[in-house]
Amino acid sequence: MIVRRLIAVLGAGSLLATAGCGGSAPSGAAGDAAGSGDGPVRIGALHPVSGSMAVDGLQMRRGAQLAVEQINDSGGIASLGGREVRLATADTQGKPEIGQSEAQRLISDGAVGLIGTYQSSVSSNVAVVAERNEVPFVMDVTASDEIFQHGYRYSFRVQPGSAKISESAAEYLEQVSEQAGKPAERVAVLHEHTDFGTGAADAFETAAEKLGMEVGPRISYDATTASDFTSQITQVKASGADVLVVAGYYGDSLLIAQAVDAVKPDLDAVWGVSNGAYDQPKFVSDAGELGDRYFSTNYHFDAQNPETRRLREEYRQRFGAPMRTGAVLSYDAVQAIAAGVEEAGSTDPAAVRNGIARAEIDPLTVGDGPVRFGPDGENVNSAAVLMQIQNGRVKQVYPPEKAESDPDYSVAW
Amino acid sequence: MTATIDSDAPETRAPSATVAVLKRAGVVGALVAVAIAVALIQSGSGIVVWQSVVTGLLTGGLYGLIAMGLTLIFGVLDIVNFAHGAMLAVAMFLSFGVVAVTGLHPYLTMLVTVPALFLVGALVHRGLLSGAGGATLENQLLITLGLSLLLENGLLLFLGAEPKNVTLPGETHLDVFGAVVSGSRLYAFLGAVALGLVLYWMLQHTRLGTAIRAVASNSPGAELVGINVRRIHTLTFAIGAACAGAAAALAVPLLSVTPTLGEQFNITAFVVVVLGGMGNVVGALVGGLLIGLVEQLTTIYLDGQSSLLGVFVVFVLVLFLRPQGLFGRRT
Repeated sequence: MIVRRLIAVLGAGSLLATAGCGGSAPSGAAGDAAGSGDGPVRIGALHPVSGSMAVDGLQMRRGAQLAVEQINDSGGIASLGGREVRLATADTQGKPEIGQSEAQRLISDGAVGLIGTYQSSVSSNVAVVAERNEVPFVMDVTASDEIFQHGYRYSFRVQPGSAKISESAAEYLEQVSEQAGKPAERVAVLHEHTDFGTGAADAFETAAEKLGMEVGPRISYDATTASDFTSQITQVKASGADVLVVAGYYGDSLLIAQAVDAVKPDLDAVWGVSNGAYDQPKFVSDAGELGDRYFSTNYHFDAQNPETRRLREEYRQRFGAPMRTGAVLSYDAVQAIAAGVEEAGSTDPAAVRNGIARAEIDPLTVGDGPVRFGPDGENVNSAAVLMQIQNGRVKQVYPPEKAESDPDYSVAW
Repeated sequence: MTATIDSDAPETRAPSATVAVLKRAGVVGALVAVAIAVALIQSGSGIVVWQSVVTGLLTGGLYGLIAMGLTLIFGVLDIVNFAHGAMLAVAMFLSFGVVAVTGLHPYLTMLVTVPALFLVGALVHRGLLSGAGGATLENQLLITLGLSLLLENGLLLFLGAEPKNVTLPGETHLDVFGAVVSGSRLYAFLGAVALGLVLYWMLQHTRLGTAIRAVASNSPGAELVGINVRRIHTLTFAIGAACAGAAAALAVPLLSVTPTLGEQFNITAFVVVVLGGMGNVVGALVGGLLIGLVEQLTTIYLDGQSSLLGVFVVFVLVLFLRPQGLFGRRT
């Protein structure tokens, strides 16, 4: 009896919880009004500034704001007679359906282009809205490669995709371990089980096997419920792997580092791939000693670029926190749309799209050259970089032309 | 030997009930042994399975710890407290704050979190649930769900989403026949057992406990013999919330403190409550241990697919075969 009641209540509870998120009918109006008027050129920024992703979302919104200020300070859009740019912001709350309706709202309000959204699931929905309304959407942080397999014309991405990062991670691992005289032979992979972690692990496995490394064991986990990784790391230890690859978010990656410290498996290196923790200054302070010498392959702000240093310094002074890579990518994304408007000499979104496709922008994130978009919308010059925690700092260590110091292929225990 | 507060069994029937419980415990134990044996065959590595069992039991202790307050409230008040996870988050932040400001040992923050959550629980019950507004099931549901949203978003607004971490001073790792056990997890486990025993003792051997059991089994009857039912309800809700306070102080070195951390435990805690028998404090602890084990063993069986899969398979089986829970009694 009482059980039935509990089930009824739980069922009703989950219904209620989901019902609260529904009902986001697109308003239908396309962005035709965008080109008219002489007001500022509006760029829409969609980020999760509330909810559990709020820290990164806010960082990225501020990064976009700094880009807009930079553009206006240097004279606005020259081809439109110096028209100013304005950022129209929206909160996705980290939810795909909210992101979708907010994207529709920004377009209806006359945005010439959108940037966002930090989460692949949200970006997937926004990309559909952008395509339907024929408004360009430049993604700053969006790891999933799936969005770019639909042949969308209006989707662009600044950061390297998940597959690209994973392939670089495998290459760098082969080269760095070779240089250190301890070539990686057997690689254990620990990844969170949604598209993000699984996609990264799949791509890494394919690339690593092509380079002659053996991948296994491969262990997935649920990042939302996992609270202890001792068993998984024991499994890694028992397998005799010499490298541990971790593709996860912040909290779980921290727990993994703690379990590694407890079990002390016989590894040559811990190798983050698109990892949400091992290249964050916060990880260094939270993990302390036990995070020492962790590697991470990821997109990153270009620490060697003086322009990036100036921007990050300004961010730190204004907002009192170190500027994260996501925020620098948002900065680059806004610059891409502004360059598209400049190139097109128009605020018609379709023209801006063609402008973006032709434009070249010098990025403040690590890349192989200026941001330039291929026919699929991907940044052809995007690149991943290898970082390592050395003496309590995250440093770029590989490839050599981007390195701040040499990689130290070893572990701390 | 159950602490079922719903029980209406007179003393004379107790021995046979004890035998039945022991029998069920035996069956559960045998099933667990079979599950472990299968895991051993599956993975082929003794140390991996042993570590999983140890980790499972320790994590299970944490689940039991969190579920105890929930089961107490449900058993006595029939309120499904959706805000339990959010209250846990509030207590965690309190614990984190006390450690950050005073540098107190994390476990000593219990001196703050337990009374604070007791007070919060009492206020929530008196202010929101005990009046006419909280009379019906739907209203209780909406109120506790709303409260959890309010608490979580309040924490988010004022304290931010940045995860916060507390380290246990003098954290050590012990070797238990080859398995690694971190000190903080062992202490949390022992704390869970101790809390379970204290609650059990309180329910069985104090006047307050007797009154709580009386209200749970027959509240009009309890009222007739002079028990202030509304007061007992408030006290029970407050004690349930205080359990979350104790759990928070014990678990704070183990987890990243975020406003949404309650979500991580809410579902598991409800499963544990049903598994152990609604209102059964010791059952919650045992249920927690079982769920912890099932999670870890599922990881071995299915090569690390979502461990919740195994948890829900067990949950459905238990609902099907013994809907009153492993250690609950038919009502």
